[in-house]
Amino acid sequence: DGAARTLPSLGRLSRGRPFGRAYGRLGTSPSGRLVLPAPLSQESGDPQKTALLLRKAWTLYSVTPLYRFCRGRLRDYARLLSAFIAAERQKGLAVEVGVELDIKVALSSLPELQGSEQDQPAVLVQLSSRSRASPKNSEDKILWSGCFCCVYGDDLSENMPEDFSCLPLFLANGAESYMSVVGNWFQKTFDCTFRRLAISPFNLSWMVAMWAGCKVDKAASAVELVFSVPRLPQPLDISYAIHPEDARALWDTIQKTPGEITQEEVDVFMDCLYSHFHRHFKIRLSATKLVKVSTAIASAHCDGIVKMLHSQYLSGVLMLLTELAISQIQ
Amino acid sequence: MDETVAEYIRRTVLKIPRDEIKMMLQKWGFLSEAQLQTLNFHQIKDNISLEVVQLCEENSADIKQAAVLDIIYNHLYQNKRMWSVYQMRKTGEELEYFDITDFKKKFKRRLRSALKNVTITFREYEDNAIWIRVAWGTPYRPPNQYKPSYVVYHSQTPYAFISASVLKSNLPLLCQALIVASNYHDIREMELRSHSLNSLKDIVFKRYSQNFQTYCPKPLQGRAVEAESVDLRIINENRSEKERIQRLNQEAFGDGPQPILQFAQYKLETMFKSSPEMDVLDKKEPFRCLVKFSSPHLLESLKSLAPAGMADAPLSPLLTCIPQKARNYFRIREKRGLAPESFVSP
Repeated sequence: DGAARTLPSLGRLSRGRPFGRAYGRLGTSPSGRLVLPAPLSQESGDPQKTALLLRKAWTLYSVTPLYRFCRGRLRDYARLLSAFIAAERQKGLAVEVGVELDIKVALSSLPELQGSEQDQPAVLVQLSSRSRASPKNSEDKILWSGCFCCVYGDDLSENMPEDFSCLPLFLANGAESYMSVVGNWFQKTFDCTFRRLAISPFNLSWMVAMWAGCKVDKAASAVELVFSVPRLPQPLDISYAIHPEDARALWDTIQKTPGEITQEEVDVFMDCLYSHFHRHFKIRLSATKLVKVSTAIASAHCDGIVKMLHSQYLSGVLMLLTELAISQIQ
Repeated sequence: MDETVAEYIRRTVLKIPRDEIKMMLQKWGFLSEAQLQTLNFHQIKDNISLEVVQLCEENSADIKQAAVLDIIYNHLYQNKRMWSVYQMRKTGEELEYFDITDFKKKFKRRLRSALKNVTITFREYEDNAIWIRVAWGTPYRPPNQYKPSYVVYHSQTPYAFISASVLKSNLPLLCQALIVASNYHDIREMELRSHSLNSLKDIVFKRYSQNFQTYCPKPLQGRAVEAESVDLRIINENRSEKERIQRLNQEAFGDGPQPILQFAQYKLETMFKSSPEMDVLDKKEPFRCLVKFSSPHLLESLKSLAPAGMADAPLSPLLTCIPQKARNYFRIREKRGLAPESFVSP
């Protein structure tokens, strides 16, 4: 039973599947429990690499398994993708106006970003440029970044045939035109499909409940929920920001088991916030659309745009997003 | 003509939509009708502005004239700026005769005694509105013409509307000059801000149609809740509920058009209370929240919530009191002692 309480952490060998996941996906079962990975400790992995993911606005996609993706061939893939991009630019696509650019492509592996043993390590794709005008040894400017990852994606990867690699979550940062070109190449080369990943209000409320309860050392930013009421004669947006200590105090009285969250607890948390609001304003927030949540850990927008703010909880956020991506694929 | 003035005029003209340039130059009156005739208003704005600068050169325009053009532009496009409302107080009750020349003299003198490098421009408009433009410099630098502050003062009232530039440090000085010039002794910023200057005026001058507390047992004639449907098989369920909501809304918001505000902000410092069966947080300290409502037309938006089913009717007085209290920034604390459900009025 003591073992049951051990929480898996990133970068270390886990004892098997995270506990409580037997009931499956995020919120699909009323008693579904979600186990949270422990905060990332400082020794695991290169903080520099994972810092790449922080404080950027990432657009989310789900990706179906890649066929015959070989980790040893990352250099080759980079060359092929580079040639593909050059060809597309000749055709007049993916061109940034007025700039003479050499676009370099780099693919690298990020072993720090995986959850369980079955997970494939993350793959980072970076497009960088050096203007032909600038001196030889100047820094390359990163034009676009993309990251395939899988954090505790066992539900998808466990029954996957040999030739397929499971990296269901894709994060993109940079101009849409580059995403389009890179996405096309991967789809053609590995017979996979990219789809934008939207986040429903239901999942957003899971996220805010989870993240509001996380402990952060320094002064945390407020727990903010943004609601939209578009279909009125005059549209209305409501921002509801709660002091992080008070939000956490509320969550602490609701959460029964540390490290685990149930649907019921999330519902109670949200109901509490809604009823406090209703008491003051007589407005029913549950009738409006939750479009964005923001905490010191991360922020998420319903259009599938996420910002991760805290290195310690990176794995937890990625685990959630991986689950969402898998739901969309299956 | 100074090249900085030339550049400033050029940029000001560029801001104006092409169809309005001629009208604004006429309002300005600095260029003669003959000169205006020579301008080709059908070319691209870049060229129009250069030609205007050329003509201003002929007339030896200085910064004072250029500033007037800027006021005219900002008067027409006043809703692009964010306006705050200030209220002044005086000790005596007597209504003094307002002398515009005296006002201008005192205002300029007060500002200039503190800061040498300022550009001060006045322009009077209808309904006793005096527009004042102030461009700020430092003891070592000339005034920055691109970040001026605007004050709209209605001489028969204790209200001034200020659209400050980014340089907020000059605000106290501006306020000082105002009270000295207008013979008041005190000024305070009200918790009221909007892009719509006219709506702010409507609110503080009570020019909007206010809600009346009369009891209306039946809906007024001709205010059918929805159009009568031709098909008699279609009936309206909840008709009386819909009518009740309509009536309560009308009582709360009044009949006429609402003043235009873009947001309302509430800092909540009340206790968290849950229903007893939810065994949750029961602290003795406030549950601190900041709530912000935004909309292109906030009050209309709020008014439509109850009929849309998103809110109870009547809507909370915290929201409906906005025009009467002339504020859209609130701080709400728990009322001590009495009924725990009630709140301190803002």
